Amino acid sequence: MPDQEDVVDLLLAQHARIEELFAAVLAGTGEARRESFHELVRLLAVHETAEEEIVHPLARRSIDAGDDVVEARLAEERAAKELLAELHDIGPDAPSFDSRIVVLRDAVLAHATYEERYEFPQLRHSVDADRLRGAARAVRAAEAVAPTRPHPGVESASANLLAGPAVAVFDRLRDAARDAMRH
Amino acid sequence: MFNPLDHQGIPLERQLRNWRELDVDPIDPLAADPYTRCRIIALNGIEVEAILFSHHFARTCTDPEVKRQLAEIRYIEAQQQRVVNWLLPGVPSALETTIAYEQVAVDLTSWVARMEPDPYLQQAYEFGVLEDFDHLYRYANLFELIERRRAAKVVDDLTEVMPGRPTKAHHRHPVDNVRDPYDRTTVDPLSKLHALTIMAAEQQTMNFYMNVGPQYMEPIARQLYQEIGLIEEEHVTHYESLVDPGETWWERLVNHEYNECYLYYSFMTQESDPKVRAIWELHLNMEVEQLRIACDLMRRHDGREPADILAPALPEPVRFEPNKEFLRNLLATQIDLTTLGAGYVREAHERFERMQQQLHGGEAPASERVIDEHRAKFGDEYRIETAGPHPVTALRGEKQHA
Repeated sequence: MPDQEDVVDLLLAQHARIEELFAAVLAGTGEARRESFHELVRLLAVHETAEEEIVHPLARRSIDAGDDVVEARLAEERAAKELLAELHDIGPDAPSFDSRIVVLRDAVLAHATYEERYEFPQLRHSVDADRLRGAARAVRAAEAVAPTRPHPGVESASANLLAGPAVAVFDRLRDAARDAMRH
Repeated sequence: MFNPLDHQGIPLERQLRNWRELDVDPIDPLAADPYTRCRIIALNGIEVEAILFSHHFARTCTDPEVKRQLAEIRYIEAQQQRVVNWLLPGVPSALETTIAYEQVAVDLTSWVARMEPDPYLQQAYEFGVLEDFDHLYRYANLFELIERRRAAKVVDDLTEVMPGRPTKAHHRHPVDNVRDPYDRTTVDPLSKLHALTIMAAEQQTMNFYMNVGPQYMEPIARQLYQEIGLIEEEHVTHYESLVDPGETWWERLVNHEYNECYLYYSFMTQESDPKVRAIWELHLNMEVEQLRIACDLMRRHDGREPADILAPALPEPVRFEPNKEFLRNLLATQIDLTTLGAGYVREAHERFERMQQQLHGGEAPASERVIDEHRAKFGDEYRIETAGPHPVTALRGEKQHA
């Protein structure tokens, strides 16, 4: 099935998972909450990078008023990344975490909704199905280098990466995505 | 018990709201109580019916003074509808909202079926709810298929998602959708409120599907909305024919306003979200005054006392609550029913068969294909069976979607 999946399907599944993780973070406590938050940070990094490097360029070239649509989405992504970096820095145990993650959640949900209404249907309409499937493969290739979800007690390179500045995750993913698109 | 006739509401001239007051905060798109969303959708259906009823009344009304009075009340009702429906957030897609509409249909109709004192009317609700229950299952599969979301995010574990009476069997000959009406002179006043409520809810669902369906690009989504949208046409016919057509326009106006009081009062007593509850309370106080005006009109033009057609007090409040066992019993006993004339039968009679052949033309309708496509893509179908396996053995799935 994954080979048949196009990039819109893949991003929709990620949007669905992101929603679930926001709900899990907000409802969870202690270690469960920290784990959900780590998974959320990782997935958002993977997802936003894939969109910036692979999906938005495709949309810019292929859809009506693509530049305007994509610029609006990029501005939302920049704002969300700043919020995410702040949250990552203060951590899920900080007193202001709850109110701030709701702000991030609302920004991410609105961003995802705009994509699903104004960008994805146009992509499906204007871009060849093979190219959309190829873009899905590129996203998965980039995702493969992203740090995996850290398990408690297991110190790994990925856990270290997540422990560092969130920006490093984005940089590394961006390089991987560019790499995947060249192949 | 609360009797709206004994209370004083907000004077009509003070009911108009400005833009700031109309600009309400929507409920949380992810964390709201699913039944808060259901109450919003149900009351939206009630307000939409109030507006449409008033328009129809105005079109047949020859008295210009009454027309002006109707217009004045109707504008306030239009504002109430905008406030109620604008409590829904902008984030969910039309399909996600569709799942919530079906949850309303399932749990509201179940409540009404359980409380309905008249056996013939009760049968009408029991019959209809098994179809909405199946629509929920079909749309839930479409939701995961095209949006990758699971219906659990909408219905939580309050309402189960599994096959009901198969949607393809809902396409009956139109004449078999017309039921016999209750008798307005002998019926329990509660039955009149029930019929209005479910008619309004189904009418709103019909309007929604017939308009949002073509917004989808995916052929399976367009086709499923078309198919279920046509069943909503049948359901509106089914429920509206329960209402006694001999009620005068004035009597119907009073019944509408009384029913609005009943539902705002009901949901006010149950509402978990304080901001939403404040709106139900405000609207109740507006409706009490609108009811008073309707009662005056009835006295003046019908020469009758409204108290003679109304209950002495509001019935037990309508509640949104899980109806799993009730639905499972219906599934076990009524899944194979269809209608013949104004009654119900088990056999696929000739007129039913002819309609089925003409409509399906030997092909599987979208309601069947959406399940096939879901199975092809994910290896199974989407269900939420929290209270055990399906009560009908033949409808048990091969495996549960985690």
